Amino acid sequence: MDAARQDDRAVSTRTPEPDPPRRSWLGGRARHYAASYAVIAVWLAMIAVYAAAEPGLFFRVPTFQTIFSSQQPLVFMAMALLCTITVGEFVDLSVPAVFGTSATILPVLVVNHHWGVWPASLVAVLAATAVGVVNGVLVVVAGVNTIVVTLGMGTLLEGISLWMSDLNTISGLPASFGKIALTPVGGLPISFYYGVILVAGFAYLMAFTPLGRHMRFVGASREVSRLSGVRVNRIRFGSFVAAAALSGVGAVIAVAALGGYNPTTSDSYLLPVFAAVFLGTAIIEPGRFNPVGTFIGIYFLETGILGLQLLGLQAWVSPVFYGGVLVVAVTLSTLLRRRTA
Amino acid sequence: MTGFQADLAQQRLEVAHLSKAFGPTRALRDVRLQVAPGELHGLVGQNGCGKSTLVKILTGVYTPDPGADIAVDGRRLALPIRPMDQRQAGVAVVHQNLGLVDDRTVWENVRLGRYQAGRVSRRINRREEQRAVEDVLARLGRPLDVRQPVAELSAEDRAAVAIARAMQDHQPGGGLIIFDESTRALGRAARSRFFELIRSLIDGGASVLLISHQLEEIVEATDRVTVLRDGAVVEGGLTTSGVDEAALTRMMLGRHLVTHGRVDSHARDSVVASVRGLAAGPVTGLDLDVKRGEIVGLTGLIGSGFQEAAEALGGARRASAGRLTADGRVIALDRRRGSTEEFIAAGVAFVPERRLDQGLAAGLSLADNLTLPRVRRRGGRLRIGAGWQAEETAAMITKLDIRPPHPDAPVGTLSGGNQQKVLLAKWLAGAPNLLVLHEPTQAVDVGARHGLIDAIREAARDGCAVLIASVDAADLAVLCDRVLVFRDGLVAAELTGDLDQDGIVHATFGVAAADEAERTG
Repeated sequence: MDAARQDDRAVSTRTPEPDPPRRSWLGGRARHYAASYAVIAVWLAMIAVYAAAEPGLFFRVPTFQTIFSSQQPLVFMAMALLCTITVGEFVDLSVPAVFGTSATILPVLVVNHHWGVWPASLVAVLAATAVGVVNGVLVVVAGVNTIVVTLGMGTLLEGISLWMSDLNTISGLPASFGKIALTPVGGLPISFYYGVILVAGFAYLMAFTPLGRHMRFVGASREVSRLSGVRVNRIRFGSFVAAAALSGVGAVIAVAALGGYNPTTSDSYLLPVFAAVFLGTAIIEPGRFNPVGTFIGIYFLETGILGLQLLGLQAWVSPVFYGGVLVVAVTLSTLLRRRTA
Repeated sequence: MTGFQADLAQQRLEVAHLSKAFGPTRALRDVRLQVAPGELHGLVGQNGCGKSTLVKILTGVYTPDPGADIAVDGRRLALPIRPMDQRQAGVAVVHQNLGLVDDRTVWENVRLGRYQAGRVSRRINRREEQRAVEDVLARLGRPLDVRQPVAELSAEDRAAVAIARAMQDHQPGGGLIIFDESTRALGRAARSRFFELIRSLIDGGASVLLISHQLEEIVEATDRVTVLRDGAVVEGGLTTSGVDEAALTRMMLGRHLVTHGRVDSHARDSVVASVRGLAAGPVTGLDLDVKRGEIVGLTGLIGSGFQEAAEALGGARRASAGRLTADGRVIALDRRRGSTEEFIAAGVAFVPERRLDQGLAAGLSLADNLTLPRVRRRGGRLRIGAGWQAEETAAMITKLDIRPPHPDAPVGTLSGGNQQKVLLAKWLAGAPNLLVLHEPTQAVDVGARHGLIDAIREAARDGCAVLIASVDAADLAVLCDRVLVFRDGLVAAELTGDLDQDGIVHATFGVAAADEAERTG
């Protein structure tokens, strides 16, 4: 025992070395930036690979015009999903169906019932908003599980859309209406810029306004927010309504661009929307749902798919790519979050 | 290495060259720890000194950095430690939160992970399992109904269940039981019984490693103590006799510490907040006036109602009746409300007990957490404004000495003591009229506790009325102008004048201790 005591003394008289310089924080910062922009680097690399593989087909202005002009519906739906995901409501599965309902109501009213395009658009957006209110009441007020409510609501709405349209593609909207989406600005349709404005506005809301800060906290912890004077339920309810209204507005613009709508296509949006939103958590603000990351994620996905299609791969490419990216992206963001936590 | 080999034979637990880095942060640096057979060994250190990391390595949650040696009774364990190896080596752990599943029964909790299934039916043999658990509890001197759900037990009995689980594989004449802050849930009377229990384990040949913030119990009960500071051992296996609490504190902090004495009351004549007819949980008909600058303690046994009273006054719990008048505003405490806005508008701030469930969002930054209650009031609708946030955060980081002082660091990366400082700062920054604190210094180290106590006093000096709901008599004694002791939902005693810890403890436990004596005597 004496020998052991001696040993202990030796340990105890040694002064502990001073704290290492706070390398941790700076090191963390550097890694943070690396993580933030990794997906963007992959995106550029992907463009380079496609350009090398198919120089004549891929690396041309029209390719990029296609990529940037076709994603407006997805941008609106992804931002809608982001509204509810930010406040901690995993996951609003009804977004594509709400979009589809509005996109069906508008041409049905105009083409089949001879309404004016503007009143019809208004009704389409109001109908979407009403669905958001119902979602909000069921989830926030009645406390029903979000997935159950929105899965049921989504399926219900899809059925209603098919009934309204009689399972047909409805087309024949006036060409003048198309201008609100298709007017070219700097080589791209104006609908692209609607998306940019929406994303910028959302990013501003989250970064700089009290509402955005409150949404972030409600998403992180309802109880902490409630005890800090945040009106938690009002924010959750508002998110469902805003999500639905955004889907409705997005649908009106999309229908204007397409000149009509095929209601059976709605559910094909579900996976891309989720893939983009989750991929967004690996961009700009790692481990966090964020609008700019989501926006970049959308175009990342579209670039990947278009390139693969130009390489001669068929329609099966897009589910494989979307599904694969969704799994990879969620894994990535989980790992990033674990590291920052 | 030779020293390590030589020591192997005589030590129950031998840890050497143990380091652990999390990314660039070094949580443990070349730690050495030796626990002799039949020894009660204490392990102390401030929050964030690496105690929890050490326990997590010993239980196999973390893998230590290469080069570490951990041996039990001379047998080296493979790293990371596997639960089965740990159990075979006779090492058991009683965790801080006891790790019980509340809605299951005593026997299910104790036998969890050890159920013996019938050979053919693969069903758990209830009768056998229950008898085994009854045996262990009898050895502990705590015969409980093993079919009772754990949730219905008192804090002491819950601790006993956790200890029984740790002890059940224990062979007389060997073994090591690690208690990681497990005495926190115990009342004073139960605590002395707990140490009797530990003594009997040690007399049977077991070793005990006791990790605790209660320096008093370390000094009184342990044979030797190891002190950790900033991840390194500053005193390894120091014989405890001859060491007092002040000396331990100095070792933990690496500096002398001014001990808190009583200071003059800052209470003034005007009443800031008054409570009328509060009924919440067990509390019935509580009336209370708090003056400007006055610090009032609420205490009692768990279940006596003092906690419910604090939660109701802070807006965390809906009362069944009562109203609170503060800053000329009347708040109906029995109203159902979506947020505590109304309380905040009246200058009422609430620091909840469960800091990461109710107080702070761990994944969000220090600055965002700190400014949250004021982003709407101080910010414009369209812009929160960066200036005041940065100012307020910097001022509070300095005032409470929050470390590391990075406004952007996620709160979850801070140590417990610093989280508690952020939580207090979050509300102090709003200059409240009435500050309701629920266990404001729980599970924080000595240094942080001093910082918190100073900040609370300063708030009172500036005219804030303070209510402190706590079971910590030491805190109440140094801070409070008067202490209300709850029993069965009523204020059973009001202590004023020169408060001392013993007086508060006596008032809290007086009756309960007598009951206990009757039952066991």
